[in-house]
Amino acid sequence: MGMSGKSLRLEGLTKRYGAVTAVDRLDLTILPGIIFGLLGPNGAGKTTTLEMIEGLRRPDEGRIWLGDIDLIRRPAEAKRRFGVQLQTSAFFELLTVKETLELFHSLYSHPLNVGDLIRRMDLEEKRNARVGGLSGGQRQRLALAVALVNDPDVVFLDEPSAGLDPQARRNLWEVVLGLKAEGRTVVLTTHYMDEAEVLADRLAIMDHGRVLDEGAPRELIARHLPAAVIEVDRSTGIAGDADLPALVRIEEREEVTALVTRSLEDTLTGLVAWANEHGRQLTGLKTRSATLEDVFLELTGRSLRE
Amino acid sequence: MKPVITLLGSLLRQTVRNRQGLFWTLFFPVVLMIVFSLLGNTQNRVNLAIVAPTPTSSAVVRIVEHSPFFHIRTMRRQAALNAVRSGRLDAALLVPAAPQSRTTTLVLRYNPANSLSAQQAVGAVQALVAQADLALSGRPPRFRVQATPLVHARASTYLDFLLPGVLALMTMQNSLFGIGSGLTRWKEKGILRRFRVTPLRPLQFLGAAILNYLLVGLASSAIIIGFATSLLHASVDVPLGPVALVLLLGMGCFLAFGFIVAGVSRSQEATIPIINLISFPMMFLSGVFFPVSSLPKILTHIVDYFPLTYVSGALRGLMSGQLTWHDAAFRGDLLGMAVWLAVAGVVAARVWRWE
Ligand SMILES: Nc1ncnc2c1ncn2[C@@H]1O[C@H](COP(=O)(O)OP(=O)(O)OP(=O)(O)O)[C@@H](O)[C@H]1O
Ligand SMILES: [Mg+2]
Repeated sequence: MGMSGKSLRLEGLTKRYGAVTAVDRLDLTILPGIIFGLLGPNGAGKTTTLEMIEGLRRPDEGRIWLGDIDLIRRPAEAKRRFGVQLQTSAFFELLTVKETLELFHSLYSHPLNVGDLIRRMDLEEKRNARVGGLSGGQRQRLALAVALVNDPDVVFLDEPSAGLDPQARRNLWEVVLGLKAEGRTVVLTTHYMDEAEVLADRLAIMDHGRVLDEGAPRELIARHLPAAVIEVDRSTGIAGDADLPALVRIEEREEVTALVTRSLEDTLTGLVAWANEHGRQLTGLKTRSATLEDVFLELTGRSLRE
Repeated sequence: MKPVITLLGSLLRQTVRNRQGLFWTLFFPVVLMIVFSLLGNTQNRVNLAIVAPTPTSSAVVRIVEHSPFFHIRTMRRQAALNAVRSGRLDAALLVPAAPQSRTTTLVLRYNPANSLSAQQAVGAVQALVAQADLALSGRPPRFRVQATPLVHARASTYLDFLLPGVLALMTMQNSLFGIGSGLTRWKEKGILRRFRVTPLRPLQFLGAAILNYLLVGLASSAIIIGFATSLLHASVDVPLGPVALVLLLGMGCFLAFGFIVAGVSRSQEATIPIINLISFPMMFLSGVFFPVSSLPKILTHIVDYFPLTYVSGALRGLMSGQLTWHDAAFRGDLLGMAVWLAVAGVVAARVWRWE
């Protein structure tokens, strides 16, 4: 179990589909024993990157190293040591949860106990239920259980919380943190900022097949958004008009207008002055510190779930 | 080896649990055989009308009447001819009013549309007339055939003919649709990909899948044979070894075809029309429902080389007791299947895609 102490290194990893470069000369080092998050909008290249590491897709260029093992030359090594939850996992519909786990159990030489996995993923009630009858969240949990059956050193989770209810997401976070506590490396992709913030030790923000920036979540926020965000209702009409001090950027997000600022005091003073001058009410006024979501918008210019 | 066996177990379990799939595998052949065994044996007697105006011909009538091969009714000329023309009767025997000078000509009018019963009618009437001739001449016959019915014997029915055809048909359909709807669906849904991130080798997966189809195919053939012989009273030979060999080789051929189809078509929906395109001509031409020899000569030159023709021919030969292991014809069928298997197998290996 765990503690392989080997880091995963991607060097110039590239994958093209016709005119589309899904992954573009990607360099990344993932240290052992951490939770590494890949954050990016739809089509950023997250899944393609993971599946090249897992050996499902052949890179057009670049190398993948696990410690000193060349995984492109020796894909069998990856298959033994990696636990994989694919973005769209499917299992035989007519087998039960237990039978599915037993099937995958039989494929490895040092697997974990099936009963323990079922308990750990909270699937005991569904132990003898057919896979075809599971809910989306239960399927996700089964996929995670299958990903762990070989007692992997590195676990890849491609959007593990997609389709989970809030409670189930929190349970998933527990499980993922538990995997780290056992010394496994976890590489996950997500669309949820809070998830990335809570789970990831390090994050890479991706778009168009490239890493835009990489670091610890706090670090990324500090680097790109030194201060804060002021929000007011969109109805104030500030967006079309303002020339406020210390303002970095104005964004319209559904009901609210967000003013991203370098200095909360300066911008706020300016905003109040503007409201007085134009006789506007600053309804819904709120200030908060910058979040990952703001960093993401700053870097990619698009919302995560647009 | 252990992973292959576990996987095979899982696949078999799935097949058994797929009630709907099982139903359709067995439903069609069973219904076919029931229908034909109900229609079955009306064909055994020739329906003959006798148009015999005078008592002079009553001798002929009497002889014909006593033959077990005929259903006889006496009718008037016009009614009899109409009945034959419309197919309600097989033939009408017209006996002239008065004996002619030396040889009396009996006219037999038959309906050529149904060639089988027409042949039967003509042959049987000729035989009878010859017999009647002798009887009337008063001379003792030089030869005599003493025909004695065997106790417990039964007529060879259309069902006996149909059963091997149905088995051949099942071999084709189950293999083609097994790959076309089973394996292709697993591929499309991403089930196969999930195995590709495990140490299971692709060939191990395929091996288990193929073994699954072969075992299921043998089992359903056994069920159909059991059903036809015990409930419908089909009388066929089932030499286990050779029959199993033919079934396995046949399934091998059609599984390879299935892999080719799955390899060249993008989606599951696309496989179905291609499969129908392959299976339909063979279903009707390759000796499933009627013998290949009844096709036009030009067509038989092609149909003889169809894979299903080899399967149905070999099975029918074995099950009717006309072919054994040692017959060249049987070996020819096996060779034909082996060649198809080899060719289709090579093509399949080239076009098969995992994604
Ligand atoms: N098999 C393929 N054939 C052609 N194009 C592909 C293929 N797989 C991915 N792409 C393209 O590569 C790009 C990256 O796709 P990828 O699935 O890696 O994105 P992603 O970041 O995982 O997106 P999402 O958040 O929606 O899962 C997209 O533009 C996609 O259309
Ligand atoms: Mg993805």
